[in-house]
Amino acid sequence: MEQKIGVYICECGPNISEKVDIDKVIQAVKPLKGVAVVEKFKLLCSEDGKKFLVEQIKKHGLTHLVVAACSPRDHEKTFKEVCEKGEINPYLFQLANIREQCAWITDDKNEATKKTIRLTKAAIRRVRLHTPLEKKEIEGNPDVLVIGGGISGISTSLQLASSDRKVFLVEKEPVLGGLVNNFEKIYPTMERGPDLIKEKVFEIEKNENIKVFTDSQVEKVVGFLGNFEVTIKKIKEEDNIQDFNVGAVVLATGSKLFDPIITPKYGYGKFDNVITSLEFEKMNLSGKITLKNGKTPSNVAIVHCVGREEKGYCSDICCLYSIKFVRYLKEKIPSVKVSNLYSDLCIPGKTHQNFYEETLGKDIEFLRSKDIEIAKKGNNLEISYNDENNNKKKLTADMIILSPAVEPTIDASKLAAITNISQGNGGFFAEEHEKLGPISTSTEGVFITGCAQGPKNIFDSITQAEAASGKILTSLIPGRKIEPEIKVSQISEALCIGCKTCLTVCSYGAISFDDSKKISVVNEVICRGCGNCVAACPSGAANIKHFTFNQLYQELMEAVQ
Amino acid sequence: MKEKDKNKDVLVIGAGIGGIEASLLLSKADRKVHLVEKTSYTGGSVIKYEEVFSNMECSTCMVAPIQQELLQDKNINLITLAEIEDVKGLPGNFTVKINKKARYVDMQNCIGCNACFDPCPVSLKNEFEEGLSKRKAIYIPCAGALPNVPMIDTENCLRFNGKKDCKACQEACMFEAIDYNQKDQKIELKVDSIIAATGFETYDLSKLSKFGYGKVDDVYSAFEFERLYASNGPTEGKIVLKNKKEPKSAAIIHCAGRDKKGYCSSVCCMYSVKFGHYLKSKIPNIKITDLYTDLVIPGKSNQKFYEKLKKTKVDMVRASDIEISKHTNGVSIKFNNANGKKDNLIVDMVIIAPAIEPRSDASKLAKVLDIKTDRYGFLEEQKGNVSSVITSKPGIFMAGCVQGPKNIQETVAQANAAVGKILSSK
Repeated sequence: MEQKIGVYICECGPNISEKVDIDKVIQAVKPLKGVAVVEKFKLLCSEDGKKFLVEQIKKHGLTHLVVAACSPRDHEKTFKEVCEKGEINPYLFQLANIREQCAWITDDKNEATKKTIRLTKAAIRRVRLHTPLEKKEIEGNPDVLVIGGGISGISTSLQLASSDRKVFLVEKEPVLGGLVNNFEKIYPTMERGPDLIKEKVFEIEKNENIKVFTDSQVEKVVGFLGNFEVTIKKIKEEDNIQDFNVGAVVLATGSKLFDPIITPKYGYGKFDNVITSLEFEKMNLSGKITLKNGKTPSNVAIVHCVGREEKGYCSDICCLYSIKFVRYLKEKIPSVKVSNLYSDLCIPGKTHQNFYEETLGKDIEFLRSKDIEIAKKGNNLEISYNDENNNKKKLTADMIILSPAVEPTIDASKLAAITNISQGNGGFFAEEHEKLGPISTSTEGVFITGCAQGPKNIFDSITQAEAASGKILTSLIPGRKIEPEIKVSQISEALCIGCKTCLTVCSYGAISFDDSKKISVVNEVICRGCGNCVAACPSGAANIKHFTFNQLYQELMEAVQ
Repeated sequence: MKEKDKNKDVLVIGAGIGGIEASLLLSKADRKVHLVEKTSYTGGSVIKYEEVFSNMECSTCMVAPIQQELLQDKNINLITLAEIEDVKGLPGNFTVKINKKARYVDMQNCIGCNACFDPCPVSLKNEFEEGLSKRKAIYIPCAGALPNVPMIDTENCLRFNGKKDCKACQEACMFEAIDYNQKDQKIELKVDSIIAATGFETYDLSKLSKFGYGKVDDVYSAFEFERLYASNGPTEGKIVLKNKKEPKSAAIIHCAGRDKKGYCSSVCCMYSVKFGHYLKSKIPNIKITDLYTDLVIPGKSNQKFYEKLKKTKVDMVRASDIEISKHTNGVSIKFNNANGKKDNLIVDMVIIAPAIEPRSDASKLAKVLDIKTDRYGFLEEQKGNVSSVITSKPGIFMAGCVQGPKNIQETVAQANAAVGKILSSK
């Protein structure tokens, strides 16, 4: 079909008309191939302007539209809507920015006019090569797989399960609850941890829309938002495998503690009564704080920041739970002396300083210290350290509690590979965007919550769990179809040489290799049109729709000639 | 009432990063959102920052696309220059009364060409720029503000103050966008639920007499320094002293007002580290001293960011009892060091990081919404609940610094969480 391109130049009141000789522009572009009509208008984004454009499209039977006006940031959407009203495909449209890029950047009318002509010609040359693109719609499964049955996974599951949305909750341990099961109390409210879990697990058990798999692990997650195929397996049973489909996956796999054996200076594993914070939590939960010999400790030291240097980050929660330990100790053994050896007291947020201040009291000290070493001295333990002014100091204790760094669980790498997401700082799962996308990942439909994303406290883990549900409830709505990105990559069968370079640069796992044809194939549903494969492809086989090599080349030829 | 006829609209209060994120997410689920903003622009505090830690991403580049998306979203009704006057009713059926001030510039007709600014004869301190630059009585707060539509400040516009014949801005406008006859409006809405996301203020440094703020030249608050570094700010990003010279040394003082507030504001150490990066990027040889109490840089990415700055030789000094005064060679800082001994420092520029506190109108908002505030004046979480976004009243949620000091990531997570709460409530 013959192309009939309509070119419309916006005066933007005086903004463009006073700085650009629009009539000269009209004369310059009128004779170009395919241009059926060129007109100027006072303000194309106004209601009158939009009506005018729709009428023009109908009147001249236009097939393509070029508007020379302002930044696409301002009005690209406006003019695409005009196209839809005029019944031409919105991708057969191009906007030339002659205001911000021509009229507003120079007082030289001649220069501005010259550049306007170039940009308008470039838009015309580009639009000739545009092809119509249509919205796609695919069915989406609203069900969700939650991996990890700790506080964050439990909270996510409870908030998502409903009559039209099933949740599959997979936990590798025999019981739900995760680490919080071990905490007699949680700071700063000092409510009982096991009670919090018990209440929520009870709710899960009576919720018929949540299916719990304990002693189980995820073996396979393949697919994309709305359509993931999942395989899970009972850990101790070889053949007990289940397959099902979900629309989204939440990784709530929590964290573990840095192993202090790695740093021999703390004497962990070597001396009795040097224990980790988790071991102390468990001891405290059992009701009795005792030394190995069964006696009650009288002098306890809590060493903060164990493994911080090795890990390269502050684990956020250790100072606060160490303060909580002071309370545990003072409640159970009122006469005990407790010394905290810390580097910086990290107690951010509105309630935590008060929690700290209310903990302070008789026989409780906080010592700023570094270069800590633990040795055995008689029946006691001796800590040597440097204070802030590098004076050597010593301290004896009969029990030492180490507060080790928080680190990702052992299976984090395996799960990252299975769900096709990456690991970031500290080996924790990487979020899509540090500020604006803390819950989402590079794989659309896979979300991360709680300590799997980074060290954090229970409140923040629950907030992230609620946030994941917010993300899922707005992207996977029962009965509503999913609209994937339209401007995706396409790999030419004829040009692809099968080198697989594109597979290595795709961040979304959208490209697979067809072994029979020996070529790369794009999954258009997963592709987000980032263009990595286009840049990397040595044979020019990869192209992004609406940003094809030819479209860009022709546009540039005119703009930079 | 049938389920499908039920009003499911949501009121979001505050168009900062928390309010924007919540509104956009709700819109994705086809909820109609009324987003009420007190100022004439969106973006809240975040658009005042040039870059954000720890990736040093350009803040406006990060936020502008979602601000634009917000303006073009047909499910979102942005009501600027507006405040909530009254809220009545129960969850699922709140009646909200809003007082919307006139902008005197038509949002549809104005194209944002700024032609009206020049002819305005009034010159005033620009509050958005912390008073470091001037604005007119018709103005936008900074270049790139969205919506890019000016407002008339009727407290200072001559026309609204007796000189009825001044119509300089109207004459300059080619789009008939300026309408002196616009009236303040009372708007009444029915909504299903409410999210409060009104953000924070910083502690007034002039209350700390020993810090010399407002009295000694070249002593800046964190926000002032952000604007000094901002490429769209008063100096277009050039860090200069009052005498227009480049500083050779700077001190950054953490924890200002922490004693008075009784909590650690959680973000100051990190943005102070960011300030170090700002200074070093513009003035590589500048000598920087951080006076701090405890370095609070929790989380998986923040220490790396700090260590990168440390490599550029920044002095970290643990200090207390800080006193700032004028000195012939710049600014004098007296303090007690970690040994408890008196020490002092003379620098060209001082930047003070003040505590984050609830907005001055937070208690008024709490009263209107009939929800509780905590002992610090932030909105309080519901008792016995471990969710950080549920207020003391069902149907009303919160996100961001209105609940307590926090960074952008945590604010966004809360905004997503509040939406999760609303959409999952049966």
